[in-house]
Amino acid sequence: MGRGERSGPNMLFLASVPILVFLLLPSLIIIPMALTRSQLIQFPPAGISLHSFADYLSDPQWVHSTVLSFQVSVFAVVLGCLAGSAAAIGLHGRRFRGKGMVTGALLVPIIIPLVVLALGEYLLFAHLHMVGSWVAIGLVHSVLVTPYVFISVQTSLTAGLNPALIRSARSLGAHWPNVLRHVYWPAIRPGILSGAVLGFAVSFDEVVVAFFLQGPGMVTLPVRMFTAIQFELTPKIAASASLFILLATLSLIAQGLLASRRGAR
Amino acid sequence: MDASVELNVPPPRTSGRRVEVHHVWKAYSPGTYVVRDVTFELQPGEFLTLLGPSGSGKTSTLMMVAGFEQPTEGTIRVNSKDVVDLPPERRNFGVVFQGYALFPHMSALENVEFSLRMRRVPGAQRRRRAMGMLDRVGLAAFAARRPRDLSGGQQQRVALARALVFEPDALLLDEPLGALDRRLREQLQTEIKEIQRRVGVSVLFVTHDQDEAMTMSDRIAVMRDGEIVQIGSPSEVYLHPGTAFVASFLGETNLLPVRLESIDNGQAVVRFHGDVLGRARLPHGAIRPAPGEIGLVSLRPERIRFLDTTQSAEQVADGMLTGHTFLGRHGRSVIQSLGQALAVSTTDAPPPFDGTVGASVRLGWNFDDAQLLVGGSVAEAYRKDRTSARE
Repeated sequence: MGRGERSGPNMLFLASVPILVFLLLPSLIIIPMALTRSQLIQFPPAGISLHSFADYLSDPQWVHSTVLSFQVSVFAVVLGCLAGSAAAIGLHGRRFRGKGMVTGALLVPIIIPLVVLALGEYLLFAHLHMVGSWVAIGLVHSVLVTPYVFISVQTSLTAGLNPALIRSARSLGAHWPNVLRHVYWPAIRPGILSGAVLGFAVSFDEVVVAFFLQGPGMVTLPVRMFTAIQFELTPKIAASASLFILLATLSLIAQGLLASRRGAR
Repeated sequence: MDASVELNVPPPRTSGRRVEVHHVWKAYSPGTYVVRDVTFELQPGEFLTLLGPSGSGKTSTLMMVAGFEQPTEGTIRVNSKDVVDLPPERRNFGVVFQGYALFPHMSALENVEFSLRMRRVPGAQRRRRAMGMLDRVGLAAFAARRPRDLSGGQQQRVALARALVFEPDALLLDEPLGALDRRLREQLQTEIKEIQRRVGVSVLFVTHDQDEAMTMSDRIAVMRDGEIVQIGSPSEVYLHPGTAFVASFLGETNLLPVRLESIDNGQAVVRFHGDVLGRARLPHGAIRPAPGEIGLVSLRPERIRFLDTTQSAEQVADGMLTGHTFLGRHGRSVIQSLGQALAVSTTDAPPPFDGTVGASVRLGWNFDDAQLLVGGSVAEAYRKDRTSARE
């Protein structure tokens, strides 16, 4: 942070700008495309209008898909947070044979090809007659969310929890629920929050699983966009995509606030 | 000056409870014991120290008393009640850990209140008791501070207050001063001792620092390889060590191999190297060596005197000066005598000889200052030289 590093032309900064533009432009271009006056999605946009947002918000199918996506993601994040933090706490400070395998198994959902997972889950839920149920999609998404929560909670445990605190709380008369509340919870809270934000992002725009497990009236927003782009080419797609950009920006800001609050401590 | 505060505080119990550790063994894996047959009794109000090098089993013993480890065998009783099956949260010990382990997100007051909260003591009473205890350790003005805003010494006192506020059966301290620099250590040693005296709680203290043990304890249990090798008051253990290990772990000593000739008038008649005859104290305790047995005599450097031609002593030995170091408060000389190098520590300055290496000197000491040790093999005592025993 020395002042000397800032003065003068910063070559690194100059070199970063075109790369940043290249990375962000395709996403940001969606916004002017959503503002088109035309009934077709096109670039460059023809004139400026908010009609595609109005169309998007007044189309019951699109609204339903949006609500459904939130529903699925919140469900998946809650389950994933429970499972991920429980796993991280359970494995914390414990040594046993096969611990590496347990950790590996928890991280499999990140590594395994989504198509394979989706196909397997499809067969499973078809057997259970649950294809086309939002619960099924939410359950599979929670499997995808869990490793993210697990990793971030594990990180905050190893970085922020002194194992002697657990012993000290117990010696002072704290039973398990109180140890969880007074020792684990303050230490893992930032980990759960950042894991949840990340997990929400993963679940909200997940297409493959949601596509396999969709049913009549059970189409999540990204799947509807995917379908629409093949048949309709409506600017509603761009309007809803703007929603994704908004959510991503909000979650980035949230992450930044969390990090700065942690840094301030 | 703080009489009003004192009056609000319930009077302290004048003593802790009796804690008995009875034939306790601990093995983390089958057959390899880290604690072997440890037995001791912590008397109400007593300050007992488990002293030993790392790996001697002292912390494992403490952790079993606290309830964090299960003994493989043996019982631990508090006021005659077996507590082995109770988890730590259902025992009633105040534990202070190395590094204190204060809750970082709670203020000093909240830290001290924690145990009372866990015991569902109503809010107002809880706050009053915690404030009273903070006041006792001199931190009433710092009640609202978080641990990170307190100095090392203040954190230590919060940890003590937190461990004392619920009137524990005993205070268990696991090397609480280990991480501090020497000056602060010495200051806190006196503070802990003072707080303990005021509150009147029994203390089980774990350390590897012999000076700390000597300063603070009513009794010291010297541990080695999982066993208590000797237990007694600091002066007993220092002046009458039972084994070569104890003699060399607590302070510095000279160990001289001897053969026991006979026992006469309560003293051992021993033959030193070079057929020099002498006398020594008989070993502490029940061990009665037999004539002909090989043993060691422990002779503290500060108990050996230099004699001039007119002086005499109960025991006299001739030797040759091979080195002398001036250390300020005292001088340390090395004398070749009785077939080995003897350390001699003197407070006389200048030393009563001209200081030339190679000069002939005469040493003297009292029979009572020579402590006969038997049981451990002589060879073993030599392998365990002073430096390795003190770590």
